[in-house]
Amino acid sequence: MFDGVKAMTKGLGVTFKALFEPRDTISYPEKRREYSPRFRGKHMLAKDADGHELCVGCGLCEAVCPAHAIRVVAAAAPEGKPVSWTNRYSVDYEVDLIRCIFCGMCEEACPTNAVRLTPFNELAASNRLDMIADKEELLHPPVKK
Amino acid sequence: MIRLTIDGQEITVPEGTMIVDAAAKLGVDVPIYCYHQALGPLGACRMCLVEVEKMPKLATACTTAVSEGMVVRSKGPAVDKGRRGVLEFLLINHPLDCPVCDKGGECYLQDYTFEYGPGGGRFQEPKIQKVKDGPINEFVLVDQERCVLCQRCVRFMGEYVGEGQLLLEGRGVETVVTTVDQVPATSQFTGNVIDLCPVGALLSAPYHHKGRPWNIEREESVCPHCPVGCTSKVTAREGHVIRMEGRPIPDREWGWLCDRGRFGYDFGYHPERLLASRVQGNETSAALATRQVGEWLKTTVEQHGGSSVGVIVGGMHTTEEAYQLKRFATEVIGTEKLAISRSEAGYLPRALNGTFEDIKKADTVLLLGTDPYDAVPVVHLKLRERLLRYPALKVIGIGPTALTRDTLPGQDVITAPEQSAVVMALAMATQRPDDAQVKTLIHDLGSFRPQGVLPEMLTQLGAQLLRADHLVCLWDGLEPAMGMVLAVLADLREKPTPMLPTFGPGNWRGWERGGFSAHFEDLTRILEEARDGVIKTLLVFGADLLEEYPDRSLVQAAFERLDHVVVEGLRPPVDSTQVDALLPGAGWAEVYGTYINMEARLQVAMASVQPPGQARPVKTYLNTWAHILGRPLNWEEDWDPFDDDSGDLLPIETRHVEIEPLTTPPTTDAGMTLVIGSLIWEKGEPSEILLPRVPEFPGRINPQEAEELGLGTEPGRISVSQGDTHLVVGVSLDSRIPVGVLWIPQGVLGVNRLGKGPVQLSLAKEEVTA
Repeated sequence: MFDGVKAMTKGLGVTFKALFEPRDTISYPEKRREYSPRFRGKHMLAKDADGHELCVGCGLCEAVCPAHAIRVVAAAAPEGKPVSWTNRYSVDYEVDLIRCIFCGMCEEACPTNAVRLTPFNELAASNRLDMIADKEELLHPPVKK
Repeated sequence: MIRLTIDGQEITVPEGTMIVDAAAKLGVDVPIYCYHQALGPLGACRMCLVEVEKMPKLATACTTAVSEGMVVRSKGPAVDKGRRGVLEFLLINHPLDCPVCDKGGECYLQDYTFEYGPGGGRFQEPKIQKVKDGPINEFVLVDQERCVLCQRCVRFMGEYVGEGQLLLEGRGVETVVTTVDQVPATSQFTGNVIDLCPVGALLSAPYHHKGRPWNIEREESVCPHCPVGCTSKVTAREGHVIRMEGRPIPDREWGWLCDRGRFGYDFGYHPERLLASRVQGNETSAALATRQVGEWLKTTVEQHGGSSVGVIVGGMHTTEEAYQLKRFATEVIGTEKLAISRSEAGYLPRALNGTFEDIKKADTVLLLGTDPYDAVPVVHLKLRERLLRYPALKVIGIGPTALTRDTLPGQDVITAPEQSAVVMALAMATQRPDDAQVKTLIHDLGSFRPQGVLPEMLTQLGAQLLRADHLVCLWDGLEPAMGMVLAVLADLREKPTPMLPTFGPGNWRGWERGGFSAHFEDLTRILEEARDGVIKTLLVFGADLLEEYPDRSLVQAAFERLDHVVVEGLRPPVDSTQVDALLPGAGWAEVYGTYINMEARLQVAMASVQPPGQARPVKTYLNTWAHILGRPLNWEEDWDPFDDDSGDLLPIETRHVEIEPLTTPPTTDAGMTLVIGSLIWEKGEPSEILLPRVPEFPGRINPQEAEELGLGTEPGRISVSQGDTHLVVGVSLDSRIPVGVLWIPQGVLGVNRLGKGPVQLSLAKEEVTA
């Protein structure tokens, strides 16, 4: 019996000690963790200072993507409406966030620095289709980079 | 033969071979921009530098011919330094805009820069700005900044095609490729410069920004539009055909395509494309329509027997589909009434058929009614190449219009319409008057003398025909009697006399292989039996008889009398009021199949995309109908059109051609005669990309005639009348058309309302034009 009391005291001792130690968990979503600047979350398509899309639809991200998660359809930029900084832009740009492995190679391959992986990582949906981010969604990211 | 060493490997090649070709035989890759085997050496780009022992400096492998005992090194520090330097120079003014360039990923400038180029340039000054995405014509864009001035395009158009519509303008760094006088290039072959351009300077306008090598699928195919059957590659992306490229085949084809074939690939997405089945004009589901047609077939066969059903094949169907149709017709329906939709009445037996190899050996080319540039453009290029290699090539045109042209000069024997066969027979008779077959041919002609052809001309022509060492005949198939004359000619000559039929449809030989009759008489007989009520149900697969058959009134009468007209195809026929069921079919690039071209060569076209909408392959329809008729077909035994012994050429059948006396042609008075010709732009499925180039004035008339009509010197619209039929057609002025002849290509809407023969012309009234 003495052995049992000793063991319980030891065990509770650990518990009570931990009560007064600093916490490892945070109360998400009220508090959020700070990530490393290299963190790779959801994609975004960037614009330049004049509001022109940087993406020219070259498809290099599509080529380099090991998970085949990206689809790019390019076209000649519409005249009169300055969408792109050059004569070509992407009409369609889709990232399948279920397939994506967040390796960041698209970001690395992008010759115009249009594709960026933001720190945003709250990826959840009740529907598979909602997990495919289209161009509109990527142009208006919740967190910019 | 010369022995030399390249990179330590010995090789023996014929004298005059360039180092680059010898190296290619060994599998040693020497980078090239300007050199192309079809165009010959130039040495403009300096990219192919190699080290040759005993030569003081690096030598260009594409302009240095091999010599005995030569030792070549294609690698090594000296070569690397040379190539690095050349690339640094080539890239000085290059915009480096690979992300927006269509060539990105399949560009030799990219590839060689990665392999041999410098890490960066040392040139600090701003780059020279030039025209970007400027037009060469409707189909080809030029980006002068990306050009490396290899001159392949300029030399191809100028030397090879013979239509020098591209040129280099300016000096030094300001040199640019442009069109002569900034006028859009009008040649039929401009698209080839896209394939030839090693960098992103010449681009396809319809393919602009559409794909990248990693998101497209390329399948080997065959161009379906004309009987040349050019080897091609189809580019598809996300289930859409977006590009057509040439597919070179070593030692046989350069992979040239004409613009009609290269840019006419979008017919599958034409707004008129049949996507849903229609029964009695109402759209319905595929299952209902197929079952309805099956019921009709069942009733017809039960009530009138199998031979009350006729089957006609046309369009772009493959050899295999024709075979499936043939099996269905004979085994399920029990009819032998099978025919191919033809526009020309002539037939050429397989035994007389030559190949394109013969053009490479020809010393005399006979153009019988056909102008290859208009009818089968790539054959024109093959003839051009023969002319470049063998400048003594004799070209003789025999027909109602001049058939030689500036790019293929020769002698023209202009006969009255429908008299070419007689002229040929009489010409042969001048040389061999005692030959039994020739005697038979001219037996009924008596003292007939062809109009406009002098007796000396006949003698001269006869002598040329019989003396030529390698005579190649290209025949348009318009005069059926010519078939006999050609058979006699082949018998008379001991030397090779290959014939190439330039008439369509593209795959008629294939359908013949599949079991259909290619004889025009059989098609006519089916239509006549339909008109007379013997045939009750007509299945038309792929063909638009109203447009293709030369006598529209017969087709109209047949359609009116028939109980059921079932048409399967890519688009509805020109007039579908008499059609009971319209079934959408899967076409070229949507089904796998074999096409057999004018050489009788079998070529496989792969499927690239899925058929859209309700469109489905022939077999699907046949299976359903076979089930309804209670005789399901067993497809287990796979049929292959290839023959074990003759490989990719059809087996040569010995076929006896019955020689009958030619009938004396009626002497036409001095009026106007309609001649139906062949123009590739007016044939086949309509394409939206091609619209700007489809001629607005497809008819042709002599300028003198136009003057008399009051057309002046400009192309315009005229009204053509024959009896009660009137037709308004756009005509352009062409001095190659003799006075008294109106030339209209087959396929111009409604021309088959008119028959061959005399017509009256008048200026079209303004309101008709509008």
